[in-house]
Amino acid sequence: MTRTLTPPAPEVVDFLTAGIARFTKQDPAAIRPDSVLVDLGLQSIDAVLLSGEVEDHFRIELDPATIFSHETVGSFASDITKRLGAR
Amino acid sequence: MTTWYLGLSTSGHDPALALVDETGRVVFAEATERFLQDKRAWGVVPDHVPHLAAALAAVGAAPGDRIVPVTSWASVKADLGLKVHDALLPASDTIWMQGLQAQMQQSAGASLLRLGFARERPEPMRFDHHLCHAVAACHFAPVADAACLVIDGEGDVGAVSHFRLTDRRLSRGWRSWGPGSLGTFYGWLTGLCGFDWREGEEWKVMGLAACGRADPALVETLAGLLSADRGRLRFADDAAIAAIRAAVEPLARGPATPVTDAADLAAAGQAAYALLADQVLEAIAEDGPALILSGGCALNSSYNGTIAGRTGFDSVFVPPCPADDGNAIGAALLAWMADTGAERIPFGGGTPFLGSAPHTKTLEAARRAAASGHAVTDVAGRSAEAAAALLAQGRILGVMRGRAEFGPRALGNRSILADPRPVGMKDAINARVKGREPYRPFAPVLAEADLADWFDRPQPSPYMSMTLPWRAGVRDRVPAVVHDDGTGRVQTVGPDSAPWMADLVAAFGRETGVPVVLNTSFNIMGKPILHSVEDALGMLATTGLDAVLIEDVLIEKPAHP
Repeated sequence: MTRTLTPPAPEVVDFLTAGIARFTKQDPAAIRPDSVLVDLGLQSIDAVLLSGEVEDHFRIELDPATIFSHETVGSFASDITKRLGAR
Repeated sequence: MTTWYLGLSTSGHDPALALVDETGRVVFAEATERFLQDKRAWGVVPDHVPHLAAALAAVGAAPGDRIVPVTSWASVKADLGLKVHDALLPASDTIWMQGLQAQMQQSAGASLLRLGFARERPEPMRFDHHLCHAVAACHFAPVADAACLVIDGEGDVGAVSHFRLTDRRLSRGWRSWGPGSLGTFYGWLTGLCGFDWREGEEWKVMGLAACGRADPALVETLAGLLSADRGRLRFADDAAIAAIRAAVEPLARGPATPVTDAADLAAAGQAAYALLADQVLEAIAEDGPALILSGGCALNSSYNGTIAGRTGFDSVFVPPCPADDGNAIGAALLAWMADTGAERIPFGGGTPFLGSAPHTKTLEAARRAAASGHAVTDVAGRSAEAAAALLAQGRILGVMRGRAEFGPRALGNRSILADPRPVGMKDAINARVKGREPYRPFAPVLAEADLADWFDRPQPSPYMSMTLPWRAGVRDRVPAVVHDDGTGRVQTVGPDSAPWMADLVAAFGRETGVPVVLNTSFNIMGKPILHSVEDALGMLATTGLDAVLIEDVLIEKPAHP
């Protein structure tokens, strides 16, 4: 499957990085756009809560499945950036 | 050819269907349980073929019409693959429900093939569950601007959603994502009190709460199960929940102990519910002063009646169908809005009378058959007066007139009515007809204009959504409708909203000096509200009902010796 990725906005990457670092109790510096969410130790409950924080912070609407359809931080950030653009 | 929007409540419990026409008018809405006479109709498709056929015939849909099926969920819960939260209710219940929801989402609309309204499997439109709740609620709310809050077991995500209604346009505020649900809490409490939430017995807990005393320490303990962060509910962590359960579960009522043994526990649980719901309301208080409240938790009439004036809101609107059956209306309206580009949610005038009417041919046949042994009278033009006269004589009357109510409450079209003045009337109705637990209250009906003479905190309650305190001086005039804590879950009627009931209450007032009538749903315990003329006559024959009024035909048993 190919899809055109919107380049992830830096503020989105920063927000996700800070959130994931908090949920997984690790140094944000260890989290990069190509980090795989599951490999970072992000549990599914944390993924759900992070989705809620994204909705609140960026005032967009996510589907419950959105985060689970992305493998990496950068891919999820791209999706959010795209939704921000469509808002 | 015309287009109909077929809203389907696809939760797997409380299935219902609704039809919206091309002008955005809700022309029909009915729960499947009524048609099947199967309480809550667990696992039955909302487009159950004979029910859908009857609904389409009732609105006059013709072959060749376009029928757009719509589901009340955007997603299939089970597809997310999330670990089921099982710290309160057993995972088996949730897994079972998710399976039903998946089936309903999958099969929605397929019945249109069977009925000749589709040649290929129709792909339904699908809308967010809480959005369906909100739109259905706004459809019944006579306001242009309000905060709109949905609180339930769980939606597509989370169990609280906040919306804003602005000039009848609905926009999302925020929603809760994590596990944390007042609906789940109340379901668990229901089990603890010795009842079964799967049977919809949350009512019994709420009624029982009025008989008990809420111990403040227990309330605090129970409220510790959840927290509200800016209104977003979250369960405590598993260890904290386990500790609270260990402390509370020794108080649970077993099947052999009397129901009233659980009264203090019910009272504490209800108080904890109120404490947490207050925290959710605080988070949106700036959106007041009007509040539209929906979701299954909006059936908590005891709490609903305390909101206005005490919180940041001065008026509260609860639709007649806040639980998942009502989502059929929300889904259908959302499809109409999406299809036509309408941005405002149409106001439907507030009528809950959206279901089936008594079948006139059956009534005619029944009238002839019933004549043996019964007094059959045509009371056209004077039916309210005739009914009031019977009630004043202490008779218990079943009423089946016009279109059925949509939602759980009988509001006069499918009701058992009686005189609220005799102390023994409650026990008499239970012994002769309903067979309910003796502690459970019956509801009063009175004119909205008279409300302040009888109740404190007077506010409109056209769908019995508010439990209010009776004024101290009037309680002994209507003992059969005063609950243990001096309250009543009141139905207010007006000449526009419920003209026949308004006439009846006025006629009863003229006859007796008390313009208040007892109203309970026309069913026997464990069955849904009745559906057909045959159901009504069956109840007359098999219970201690004195008479039934079907449309304008009054069928009476011989007077008591």
